[in-house]
Amino acid sequence: MSANGFLYACGEALRSLYRNKWMTIASMGVVIVTLLMLGGFMIVNLNLTHITQSVKEQVEIVLYIDDEATITERNELRQKLIAHGSLAEVRFVPKEEALQRLKEQMGDVVEGYEAVENNPLRDSFELRTSRPELVGEVAGELAGYPAVGDLYYGEETVDKLFTATRAVQLVGLALMIGLAVTAVFLIAHTIRLTVFIRRREIMIMKYVGATNWFIRWPFILEGLLIGILGAALPLVVLYYVYQASLEWVVANNLRFLTLLPSSLIAGELAKYLLPLGTGLGILGSFFSMDRFLRV
Amino acid sequence: MIEAREIYHRYDQNGGDVLSDINFMIDRGEFVFFVGPSGAGKTTLFKMIIQEIVPRRGLLKVFGQDLTRLPRYRVPYLRRSIGMVFQDFRLLEERTAFDNIAFAMRVTGASNREIRRQVPYVLELVGLPEKAGARVCDLSGGEQQRIGLARAIINRPAMIIADEPTGNLDPDTSYEIMNILRTINIRGTTVLVATHNREIVDRLQKRVIHLEGGRLTVDEEKGAYAGVR
Repeated sequence: MSANGFLYACGEALRSLYRNKWMTIASMGVVIVTLLMLGGFMIVNLNLTHITQSVKEQVEIVLYIDDEATITERNELRQKLIAHGSLAEVRFVPKEEALQRLKEQMGDVVEGYEAVENNPLRDSFELRTSRPELVGEVAGELAGYPAVGDLYYGEETVDKLFTATRAVQLVGLALMIGLAVTAVFLIAHTIRLTVFIRRREIMIMKYVGATNWFIRWPFILEGLLIGILGAALPLVVLYYVYQASLEWVVANNLRFLTLLPSSLIAGELAKYLLPLGTGLGILGSFFSMDRFLRV
Repeated sequence: MIEAREIYHRYDQNGGDVLSDINFMIDRGEFVFFVGPSGAGKTTLFKMIIQEIVPRRGLLKVFGQDLTRLPRYRVPYLRRSIGMVFQDFRLLEERTAFDNIAFAMRVTGASNREIRRQVPYVLELVGLPEKAGARVCDLSGGEQQRIGLARAIINRPAMIIADEPTGNLDPDTSYEIMNILRTINIRGTTVLVATHNREIVDRLQKRVIHLEGGRLTVDEEKGAYAGVR
């Protein structure tokens, strides 16, 4: 297309967007709502994946020492753990420290367990494996050691978390596809209306020898603009809402929710929403054109 | 310029014949009236010449190209060498006269400079130099048809096809429009006019092709509507 043709197409697209203001707003509204939902879902999904990942990385084995074990047995156990090739970190947690931690987490609830004598907790080791996936294997091995009372690791929790994340991702994917199809359909429909309004103009263009592409360009640019503008607004809104949620999480001491930084979220959203918005816009206008070009 | 041989057409399988056994030749620079009652097939024939319709059978050559075999992507280029004039003008009513004429130039990729130079020239030719900035909906029927004519000739087509160009106009205005068409013809453009206007056909003494019931009944040099029947 020549520079003249391109400028003409841009002018026509802008003129049409302005002339059919309400239609433009309607189409853009569709894109905005679709991408807002989609973007919101993406944020939840990204963070879930992130939390699962970090939980997985934090998985540790808590080994409770048998209350009956002698000092020698305890020391032997300690030596064995330190010498173990698959353990990256071995930390002894005396029951006093455990109680202290519990108090910090639960506050008043554990009031009354002040004295050392009635501390119901046990001494333990907190162990971290060199690789998270070794947890199950190493835990099985350690269970057979002497002086080991109980042994816990977050296998089930992690598995459940992963299953949940996968389910959320699948539902999310289905939802995203559904929304995208709806958006294409709605945009196609709204642009079809603007094409319908201008069918006379298109017919005249065909009679004076316009090529199909000459006629299509303004509509495609129109769809593109609707898509870009329709994607930009959700991007900004989602960014600020997310920023606010992060602040809320911090203000409410929910630090255990390890959420992704907003800059990263903004990048991810822009990477998907902008192409998606423009794609939806172009696809929508493409679908709505062809019937009117057969003159 | 146009060669029609054994043209046959009907719109759908069960419909009646719209055109059958149509044969004629039109040379460069001719002025031809197509006359006949409504439904005789004049408009269908014109639509075939711009390849809006492809005949079911027969040969139709325009500018040496066989339209029954012309690929779709070539159609816009065929239409750029044919100026169309319609009974209902087919103008963009909310736009100015200038815009309407420029529109046909833009389609061909003309630059703004060419457009600014060419449009006033054709407006002068159709006798409306002062109406460039007027919106089409504010113009009279005769003025609108002149704008339609200006649009048809702006790209210097080799041929003008006018389908009932005076159908909505009073006798005086009709005559003016015909005069413009005649001027265009004198400058070398082939002109085909479908009309019911007996008076004009008789007065202009041009070639007349008469269609009736989808058949060509009379093809006469310097013919007259009255002479047809």
